[in-house]
Amino acid sequence: MATNDSLIQVKDLKKHYKGGAIKALDGVTVDINRGDVTVVIGPSGSGKSTFLRSLNLLEMPTGGSIIFDGVDITKKKYKDAAGKTVKLDIDRLRQKMGMVFQHFNLFPHMTILENMTLAPVKVRKIPREEAEKKALVLLDRVGLKDRADAYPIQLSGGQKQRVAIVRALAMEPEVMLFDEPTSALDPEMVGEVLDVMKELAKEGMTMVCVTHEMGFAREVGSRVLFMADGKLLEEGTPEQIFTDPRSPRLKDFLAKVL
Amino acid sequence: MDSFIKLENFATVAKYSSLFAQGLLVTVLLSVFTVLIGFCIAMVMALMRLSDIRPFRFLGIGPDGYPRESGALAVISRFNPVSFIATAYVEILRSTPVIVQIFIIYYGIFGVIDLPNFTMFGFIKFNRFFPGVVALGMNSGAYLCEIIRSGIQSIDGGQTEAARSLGMSQIQNLRHIILPQALKNILPAIANEFVVIIKESAITYTIGVQDIMSAVNAVRGAAFVIVEPLLVATAIYFCLCFPTSKLIAYFERRMSHGDKR
Repeated sequence: MATNDSLIQVKDLKKHYKGGAIKALDGVTVDINRGDVTVVIGPSGSGKSTFLRSLNLLEMPTGGSIIFDGVDITKKKYKDAAGKTVKLDIDRLRQKMGMVFQHFNLFPHMTILENMTLAPVKVRKIPREEAEKKALVLLDRVGLKDRADAYPIQLSGGQKQRVAIVRALAMEPEVMLFDEPTSALDPEMVGEVLDVMKELAKEGMTMVCVTHEMGFAREVGSRVLFMADGKLLEEGTPEQIFTDPRSPRLKDFLAKVL
Repeated sequence: MDSFIKLENFATVAKYSSLFAQGLLVTVLLSVFTVLIGFCIAMVMALMRLSDIRPFRFLGIGPDGYPRESGALAVISRFNPVSFIATAYVEILRSTPVIVQIFIIYYGIFGVIDLPNFTMFGFIKFNRFFPGVVALGMNSGAYLCEIIRSGIQSIDGGQTEAARSLGMSQIQNLRHIILPQALKNILPAIANEFVVIIKESAITYTIGVQDIMSAVNAVRGAAFVIVEPLLVATAIYFCLCFPTSKLIAYFERRMSHGDKR
């Protein structure tokens, strides 16, 4: 499925705190290609979550650029095709980037179905019936159609995360960002969430995934990025990264996690 | 020695029972309108306090391109005039006596603004009742503001992140995600504030609002008895506040039950 058609170009991305004393991201340059499953690995505190959250501007980078759909989203204004200066509408861009969080972040005061239809109805202005029909199809795909009227608190962790994934999918995003989607789950529930993600990868969804699941990175990833100290130290196919690591940091990391 | 409560005096008080009935109605109306006005003021003030309007933001960027950590410019760059006004409002109203506020509103502001001189239900003087409601409403607005603000701040940041990542605007996030959860959480606190207002509203008799306390005053003036009408007022206030707070406690328990499903 991998192509060379780049969807997000990240150039020299920086996130500094305390006048540059703390560098969560220190010059990351990478292209995210359409259809790729890009897996980001690295020790904790390496900046991988900050990197992911910068892609849809949940973290505002302090330097560098992120080109998404031909627009630099780190700038407040850009020039459109006709050369006119337009104000960047971050809400519209975020609709095209689905995000799944470590702690699910379902809306507890709404049923599963309401969780899934809120944004399509309010943001994309899709008629409620149509949005509900689509939500039920998505829920059916992850085996949770019968829980449509339940509240998040009634679901297990794995079920919640599956709902969170299809909630993001309901907005028909161009790319899905996963921020350690299985880290808060009981071990026996990790599999059901990874299965949904594998399914999604098979369908050709562009995915960027921060994870500690090395098995998943190996099996599903088309590309693996290794980050440490806010820098992108090594990148390559899963084979390259896992069987032929070059930098000592990566060797050290793999020795600890594999 | 004479007993300090005389039973026959209750018979005297009974002759003025219609005054107490009217006073009860006024107290209830006063409290309801106060909570409504107070809630509206509090909502605006809470959103103002949580706003992120910093007109001098640009001063906070140092020559090296990084945000300044300290110094006068950093302080100025963080200055939020909207939040400052709301904070000043809240702190001033919480740090001064209600009776002073009521007198300022009644003698000051409504001494200048003429209110129409009509009566509601045939006996409530509007030009007394209205300043009372405004003053109490402004006062409880300050307290409710802090309740609403803490309610909004108690919602997990992940909720906002999830809403924004779905493409919802800041206002949509507030309207559909944050406020419904925050208001549900603070409902008991708002109801408690209602009980406090019922009791505090007694002070409005000083500007001639005909509430329960003013009935006590009327009986004292007409029949020269004071303890017995006060005891009647005590009983009425208790019968208003105690069941209300018990009802709140009941709903609070039921709502927390719902959370543990």
